[in-house]
Order: sequence, then C-alpha cells, then structure tokens
Amino acid sequence: MLFFATTIDGLQMGLCFAVLALGVYISYSILDFPDLSVDGTFPLGGVCCTIFMLRLGIPALPAILLSFFAGLAAGAVTGVLHVKFNISKLLSGIIVMTALLSVTLALTKLLTRTGLTTTIFSFRSENLEGIFSGSISRLLGDGNRDYMILIIELIFVVAVKLIIDLFLKTKLGYMLKATGNNEMLVISLGRDSGTYKILGIAVANGFVAMSGALYANLYSQYDNSSGSGKVVMALASVIIGIAVFSKIKFIGNTTAVIFGAVVYSLCLNYLVLVDTNGIYLKLLNAVLFALILIFNEKTSGFITGRKKEKRGSAAC
Amino acid sequence: MLELRNISKIYNPGTVTELCLFENFNFTVSDGEFVSVVGSNGSGKTSMLNIICGSVPVSGGEVLIDGKNINGLREYRRYRLMGRVYQNPAAGTCPDMTILENMSLADNKGKRYGLSFGVNFARRQRYREQLNELGLGLEDMLDVKLGALSGGQRQAVSLLMATMTPIDFLILDEHTAALDPHTAETIMELTNRIINEKRLTAIMVTHNLRYAVEYGTRLVMMDKGRIILDKTGKDKQETRVDDILDIFNRISIECGN
Repeated sequence: MLFFATTIDGLQMGLCFAVLALGVYISYSILDFPDLSVDGTFPLGGVCCTIFMLRLGIPALPAILLSFFAGLAAGAVTGVLHVKFNISKLLSGIIVMTALLSVTLALTKLLTRTGLTTTIFSFRSENLEGIFSGSISRLLGDGNRDYMILIIELIFVVAVKLIIDLFLKTKLGYMLKATGNNEMLVISLGRDSGTYKILGIAVANGFVAMSGALYANLYSQYDNSSGSGKVVMALASVIIGIAVFSKIKFIGNTTAVIFGAVVYSLCLNYLVLVDTNGIYLKLLNAVLFALILIFNEKTSGFITGRKKEKRGSAAC
Repeated sequence: MLELRNISKIYNPGTVTELCLFENFNFTVSDGEFVSVVGSNGSGKTSMLNIICGSVPVSGGEVLIDGKNINGLREYRRYRLMGRVYQNPAAGTCPDMTILENMSLADNKGKRYGLSFGVNFARRQRYREQLNELGLGLEDMLDVKLGALSGGQRQAVSLLMATMTPIDFLILDEHTAALDPHTAETIMELTNRIINEKRLTAIMVTHNLRYAVEYGTRLVMMDKGRIILDKTGKDKQETRVDDILDIFNRISIECGN
C-alpha cells in the first residue's frame, strides 16, 4: 500500500515537473544553454501564482498562466546579462538565481502583510483553492482525488507539450533551433542571434515558473525552498528523456522529456522508501544522476557528443 | 560596388604580440566582378573578408558599399546584403534540421521570422528542382537531416542557401579547401554556374591556384597585407598557373619559407 501511494505521489510530482523539464528542454537542448536561473524562477512562479490567487483573487488556472510572465521576465534578465554584457552562460544564470532568492522572499512578505499567514509562511488548502479541487473532482468523489489530479495534470502537460511542439515548427522556432545548433547561420541570415537567445531563455523560464505555480497548487502551499535542486532535477529529466525515450519510434523529443521527468520523479520517490530518515536522500539523488549520465555516455553521448564544430572564420 | 579605403588593421595593439596587418590598404570590387584572391597563409586574405563582413573591426579606414560607409553596421546587418560560404561545410547549414527546413530558413532571409509555419511546403517542388540542378541526388533527400550528409553535399546546400535570396555580394572563404579534389571540382563548377546565372559580384579566397586562374574575371594576389598582383580582362585570361606559381615561390623565398 505504501508502495502504491508512493507511485501515485511520484506520478503527480513527475507530471508537475514535466512542465519544468519542458522549459529546460528549450534552454538546454534547443539553445544549448545550461540555465541555472531555473532554481530561482521555479519558486518565483509559485509565489507569483499565490499572490495572484490570494491577493488579487484570480482563479487558479489564469493565475498559473499569468505566472508564465514572471518567469519570462526573469529569464529575459539572464539572457540580457549573457548576450549584452558577455557574462558567461553559467554565471548569468547564477546571478539571476541568487537575485531571485531575495525577490521571492520580498514577494512572500507581500503576502504576510495581508494577514493571511503568520510569520512562518504557510497556508492550508482551504485558502489556496487550487485547480485540482474543482467541481469535477467533487463529482467523482474525494476518494478519486488522486486520479483527478493526475488527469488534470496530464491535460495541462499535454497542452504545454503541444504548444512547444507547434512553436518549434514556426519560423521563430526554427531560428531558436538554429541559434543553438549553428549561431553563424543565424547571423548569415541577417539576424541577431542574441535576440533569439534572450527570447528562448525567457520563454524557457516562463514554463519553469508555470511549473512552480503548478507545484504550489499541487501541494496547496507555496514553499520558499522549493527551488533548490530544480536545475539538477530538470536536467536529469531532459537527459533521461532524450537518451532513453526519444530512441523509441514515434516518440518525439518533447514527449520523451515528459517520460523522463515522470521516471526520474518515480525514482526519487522510491529512494524515499529506501532511506526513511532522509539523511542520504541527496546523496542517492546525486548517485542516481551520475548513473544516468554514465549510462547516457555509454549509449549515445548526447551531452558530450554535441561538441560544437569549429567555425570556418579563422583569423588569418 | 565594394570599396575598402585606407584600411588599417592592427592585431593586439599595445602588446608585445602587436601585429600590423593592413596599412592604408585599398581595394575596390566593381559590380559583376568575380575576384579570385590568392596568397600565402598570413597574407591577409581571410582578414580582408572578415573586415568586409564585419566579423573583425577595423583599426582605421572605411568600408563602403555603393559609396555608403558601413563601418558601423554590425555583422548580422551586413549579411542582409551578402551571402557567405565558409571553409567548414558545417558552418553554413544547421545540422540538426532537414534539408527542407534549412532551405525554408534561407528562403525567408530578409523577411520576418515570426510565428508562421517554418516549412514552406508550397515551395517544396521548387526546392526539389534547385537541388536537382546540383546533380548530387539531393532532391530525394529533402527530409534528411543536414548532419547526415557528406561534406561536399553540405557545401553544395550551403552554396544554394547563401545565394537563394537576392544578394549584392557573394563571399567565398576557401569554400573548396575541406573537400576532396573531385568534390571540390564539382562545387567549384557549381559556384561558377550560380555566379554567372545570377550575375553575382563575388570574392573568392582560394589556395587552389588553378581555380583562381580558370575561374573569375579578376585575379588578385596578396602578400603581407598588400596587393602585389591584380589582373583583369585579357591580362587575366592570358595568365597561366605557372606564372602565378613563380611569383608565389619568389615571395616564399623572400620570407625564408
């Protein structure tokens, strides 16, 4: 029974993090940009969504969709730091991530002053009426709430996946792909590749923020520390997805990433069963990630195999 | 018309490795000319192309197109006026995208890259015809990723993509150097055909003296940032590979190579 509950919990988490992984898929796989600001934009989405719902009284779904723009703005900052000021990819991500730690805290204070919460920021599900406890779920009875969550999450994830798939088929999407693949080509086509980088990172973080908002809804509370480890989580999901699932026929990269997120979350949840005290959890987590990378290296070399070829404009 | 006026280029200014490549360098290319540029390594051929394209900034002087100064124009803006084929066949295409997708991208140059569909299905037939003209059997591979093609095939597609939309100049940066002799020949003939058909103004940097002699309307030899030979018209047509080779050897001896 415990195993079953863990599985359900893992699936719920996995689908929630699938949105996160899809966002990171855009920055990491498409744009070749390992974006560390994800650790900051994830809770940013959560806190913004909570503010929209509690202070502005916006219903859950539009609140989640609106939180996209919070991530968009934060991601744009990362992009601008890298493109306009030539700060390295990793450092611009770290800068934004660090800054967002304060931003989310400040935004949290905005909520405390409304008197909805006490000093320790937390609230119960009655206050945060998530999209997961609508009339449909009541229709099926409380016993099926877990399944309802899964169904609604699935609809949400599939919608996000289809939007990303469609986006990547547009001219703009092609330019994003070309920017990550061969920046020189974008310049040769008379376009500023920097603009596409900023745009791509912004959109990617938009989806990350949406995942954070979804996460707050899933657990009916916003958690300020929910951002930690999300980069690793997302990267692991993307890498598992691309290395294992995209090899299967008729499974596209985005679908593979969703599978990757679900599988990784399930693994994490089963680790909790093994290590009940939670002391070795992060260690096991790291070992799992390392194993995935080693496996990936042995099979396809998705990460290291994508070394950029030297461009032909050598100085004479 | 392209004009380089009083160009100077100093690499690493103010350091021990300071290197003055160009000093009062002047070079003019008239419309419709097909200039072959030869010269030993370090003579400034590729630097000249990079200065024209804006990949490296000049230390002094002006780059003019049709009399207008384009010094302040950033690299990507300049490519709206010109196309460039690189030495590396991978540089001109997107390896993770199919031929069709690549060609659609190139076909859209100069227009907006917005949220309309990236692949231009209506022009599929036209792309097939264009690929057919290459004679490399690529017309049936529209949905194959560029990364799966050979260097020669990629370079052919690069060439096609660079000249797909109207451009003022075609820049060829040792574009046959990475190919085997047979493929290089094919690509060179193709280049010549495209330049003649579209009446392009082209600058080709090459290490192949025979190509420089056989193709093009003008032959330029560079050495240490100076133009030491400039032949056009009948003068160019009468030039033989051996003549060029003699001069080449003389320079090399002077350099102590």
